[in-house]
Amino acid sequence: MTVIRDYAAGLNQPTLGGDPHRYDEVVGRDGSLRAPWKGLAERAVRLTPGDLARADDDIVRALADDGVTYGRPGRRPGPWRLDPVPLILDAASWGQLEIGLAQRAELLNAVLADLYGERRLLAEGLVPPAVVMGHAGYARVVARPSFHEPHPLVLSATDLGRDAHGEWRVLADRTQAPSGLGYAMENRRVLSRVLPQLYRESGLHRMAPFFSALRSALQQAAAGDMPDPRVVVLSPGSHSETAYDQAFIASALGFPLVEGSDLVVCDGWVQMRVFGRLERVDVILRRVDSDWSDPLELRGDSRLGVAGLTEAVRRGRVRVVNGLGAGVLENPALLPYLPAVSEALLGEPLLLDSVPTWWCGDPESRERVLDDLEHLQVRRIDGPPTELAELGPDEIRARVLAAPHAYVGQELLPLSQAPVWRGATVPGREVRPQALTLRTFTLRYGSAYRPLVGGLVTLIEPANAVDRWSPQRSKDLWVLKEDPAQPDQGLPEVQPLTHARSSTGTVPRVLEDMFWFGRESERCEDMLRLVLVCHALADDYRTRPTSTGNQGLQVMLTAVARLAGRQDTDDLDAEFRSLLLDYDRVGSFAHSLDGLRDALAGVRDQLSPDIWRAFGVTERAAYALETNNHSHQVADSAGRMLTGVLSLQGVLANMIRDHGWHMVHLGHHLERALQLCHLMRATTTRRRGIDVDREVLTAVLNAAESAVTHQRRYRGYVRTGGVLELLLTDPDNPRSLQFNLAELATHLAALPASTGSSRPERLVTVLLEQLAETEVATLVAIGGESRPNLEAFLDQMLAQLTRLGEAVSELHLATGPAPQSLVGLPVVDSFDTDAATGEVRLP
Amino acid sequence: MKYAVRHTTTYTYDKPVSDSLGVAHLRPRVLPWQTVEDYEVQVAPAPNDLREDLDHYGNHVTYFQLTEPHQRLVVEGRGTVEVLTPVHAEETLVTPWERLRPLVQTAAPLAWTATDVALPSPLVDQVPGAHDYATASLRPGRPVGEAVTDLMHRIHADFEYDDTATTVTSTIAHVLEARAGVCQDFAHLLLACLRGHGLAARYVSGYLSTDPPPGRERVVGADASHAWVEVWLGGDDWLALDPTNDQWAGDRYVTVAWGRDYGDVPPLKGVIFTEARKSTMQVAVDVAPWALQG
Repeated sequence: MTVIRDYAAGLNQPTLGGDPHRYDEVVGRDGSLRAPWKGLAERAVRLTPGDLARADDDIVRALADDGVTYGRPGRRPGPWRLDPVPLILDAASWGQLEIGLAQRAELLNAVLADLYGERRLLAEGLVPPAVVMGHAGYARVVARPSFHEPHPLVLSATDLGRDAHGEWRVLADRTQAPSGLGYAMENRRVLSRVLPQLYRESGLHRMAPFFSALRSALQQAAAGDMPDPRVVVLSPGSHSETAYDQAFIASALGFPLVEGSDLVVCDGWVQMRVFGRLERVDVILRRVDSDWSDPLELRGDSRLGVAGLTEAVRRGRVRVVNGLGAGVLENPALLPYLPAVSEALLGEPLLLDSVPTWWCGDPESRERVLDDLEHLQVRRIDGPPTELAELGPDEIRARVLAAPHAYVGQELLPLSQAPVWRGATVPGREVRPQALTLRTFTLRYGSAYRPLVGGLVTLIEPANAVDRWSPQRSKDLWVLKEDPAQPDQGLPEVQPLTHARSSTGTVPRVLEDMFWFGRESERCEDMLRLVLVCHALADDYRTRPTSTGNQGLQVMLTAVARLAGRQDTDDLDAEFRSLLLDYDRVGSFAHSLDGLRDALAGVRDQLSPDIWRAFGVTERAAYALETNNHSHQVADSAGRMLTGVLSLQGVLANMIRDHGWHMVHLGHHLERALQLCHLMRATTTRRRGIDVDREVLTAVLNAAESAVTHQRRYRGYVRTGGVLELLLTDPDNPRSLQFNLAELATHLAALPASTGSSRPERLVTVLLEQLAETEVATLVAIGGESRPNLEAFLDQMLAQLTRLGEAVSELHLATGPAPQSLVGLPVVDSFDTDAATGEVRLP
Repeated sequence: MKYAVRHTTTYTYDKPVSDSLGVAHLRPRVLPWQTVEDYEVQVAPAPNDLREDLDHYGNHVTYFQLTEPHQRLVVEGRGTVEVLTPVHAEETLVTPWERLRPLVQTAAPLAWTATDVALPSPLVDQVPGAHDYATASLRPGRPVGEAVTDLMHRIHADFEYDDTATTVTSTIAHVLEARAGVCQDFAHLLLACLRGHGLAARYVSGYLSTDPPPGRERVVGADASHAWVEVWLGGDDWLALDPTNDQWAGDRYVTVAWGRDYGDVPPLKGVIFTEARKSTMQVAVDVAPWALQG
């Protein structure tokens, strides 16, 4: 049997099938396959459980390698999940939906233009005024007589679900800052790689032309007739839930991904801080909610916005997409009025029905809702849909009655279902029906609205799902062409995307992330090497506590403690696992890897997607370690993690030699010098007898990845002087202090703010001079149990390297003071001023 | 009455400010009972960008930015304003208050615009305490003029003027609890009371001309910004009530701007880029009878 046939057969058995009232996307009421599935010839239908199991594995791996994540409030981002079986619609059924979506976008644009302009809908009562004025998304700062934007809606998204008859109905409109296009594109990219034959032969619409159209639409959104407008994507930052989606869009369109702090308003123009100068920004694709976009005129506590943005918008000096205040359309209370609004504004009947909705501000509707609380979902007009889900009917009734205009009641659609891969554990039941919603995207291109021929399918977990934040599964939507000759997206004339690299390489925030990319990757590598060395010693000697090897191990563990703190445990394996897996332990590999991921997420659009393969590798290694209790798994996983981290060097080698590249290396060499000094400070400044010292020095050489060189140069004769020479003063050993300081000088010199005499450069010069003046023979000198000269030397190096790091931040990464509210400063009666100069005297 | 109005705000900072953006609601509105002459908003140091506009509520609003590093910012509005006492038709004032609820009488003339101030707003949330407090005044069928004036009397009697009792961020619940506050708090409280019963009422920011204490000279700059409330009487008619001074606003009241609450119309707000940790702020308001000029 094949998966789809099993599925069709299973639907007729009540125990296996889903909800009998649900429309099934694959199997008709009579048990036969629906048209698009018949049209797919035998190929899709013949997919076996084996095929899908393989596809599912490949998908998980591909998504991890691409670093595709979805954020969850208060938690680490989880992996994005994609089901291997696409949702397939044929041209005929899509065509109907497409017309409805285009009309809806046009209608919503007209509503938006009216609500921020003439307000005829409110004056004539076509929409009750309280529906709009009581909605948090109504931005009065752009509802002024002096400002009018005829086409505020450029990109909208619509969430759809099917009713029991299989008709698509609108569940919600997404106009504020619609997300998901990047995920949809990524889904397509992965699925086309994993099921190449099916993809090629099915004759579906490719998505690429839509992205080209989006790029062109954004450029044309610029005011006036500009030859080469500057477009940026404004992100709330890499901790946003949909950070991946934002970075994907920016990178696919070739527009810089910026954050509020990268932009300033000057004389009513929006400008981007580029090293040492400001460059004008003409169009902003906004992924920050309106309310957070301008601390001057919108939420004053926002750190995500740009002070003065609203004024720039009102003066028509920058175009924000979608316009500020577009979120007022994300209002379920508008839904019941749209049919009449469509007649009034477009002169057409509304083609696409919404989910039946009642606004409680209307007395009759309110009664209807309160009479049927069991079957309706009650929600605030500007709150999340499930906000009141936990409340009992009495509490809901009380809330509605206290502020009726703020609530709606909505029918819950049965939704449709489609086969979803559940794993090959139960033969014959590998796929099960699951409910789904569809997010579509509509773009204003030229003078018309064009829906993306495709979309993002979200699978709805059953209501009793254990974890509400468990990553949702998604599906790709394939819309088949009527005729293979049809152009993709029906857009023959669109220019293909030219892959222009975006040029944020010199925004201070980006340089900062690059700096930490270098530092955290080095920390990751060094901790892994240290764990590998310690684990090897432990393997050999843990059962012989008095052996020199075990004493060496104890010394090496002090280096671990110096970098990652001391854990109160005798169980070495537990300690190693903690060093590799514990995200919360400062100094652990996992902690540094998190820092690395954070830094990279902030500059995702700057880097080759290959960079995320490193995380795919480390995550699989971490998973193997979590699921295998054997001690040898520590070394195995750490080794694989090291492979992953080292692969970053390959990506770096292929990176364009811009300021960012130098910044990564600056961080990398600074951290390597620091890590080396810490390692040596913990291990080599005390004498413990010849045999133990030899164990320690050998381990240090291994941890500092210099054992092979040492072996070649000193023929295996390990003594302190030789090791110090190799690790401190050798100009050719890429692991030596000398080498890394010299590299620091080179990369510093390449940065635009360097003058030859800037503080970081002076500090490196001093470090190099001090190192040159230092004799290894002096450092080796013994004073009792210790080597006081070496100790003092390393302490001094550590202090100066730390200072250097601070100086680099100050000179190269400074963004100037953060904006704050005028009334936010503590007010004092007077300052202590200097009577002679009138200047404020500082404490 | 005719007044020379001056409103000066001065900030100084302990370290330079490199960039300062501001929005000021200073220029008084032109109204059927109020004319404004030669009004000017000036910013020092001279801003590199300054633009006047009308906001969503038709108030004058000034946007400015100065990118010259400075340690002292002065924003001043000055001009001449002539005010008459607004008159209300008796038949309007005797309308039962229940007939003036825009969420109920949706078809009444201009009810749709009044809806905006019949709903809760960011600084005037709907609290049961305010609703309950107002019930004693808003008795069924009572003429609106009488009912809302009674409510104003009671707030004036029950709440103490105390500028240490509240802060700019105090909520309605806090004011109800403290039974004290300043003009802004009383205005917000009265709004919450009226809106809690479905009436439409807006926050008014402006000045009240005061007489010097008997036997004393006028002290220039000793006046203050003031705030009161206007309640909707239907159409374009609004009754101005000052709960702080227990009177209808007359020709001593200069109306600058109105909105849903203070947040829509602060005289001055801004964002600054600075390493400064502290500031001093002085506000000097002077509403001098025209006759005393020169």
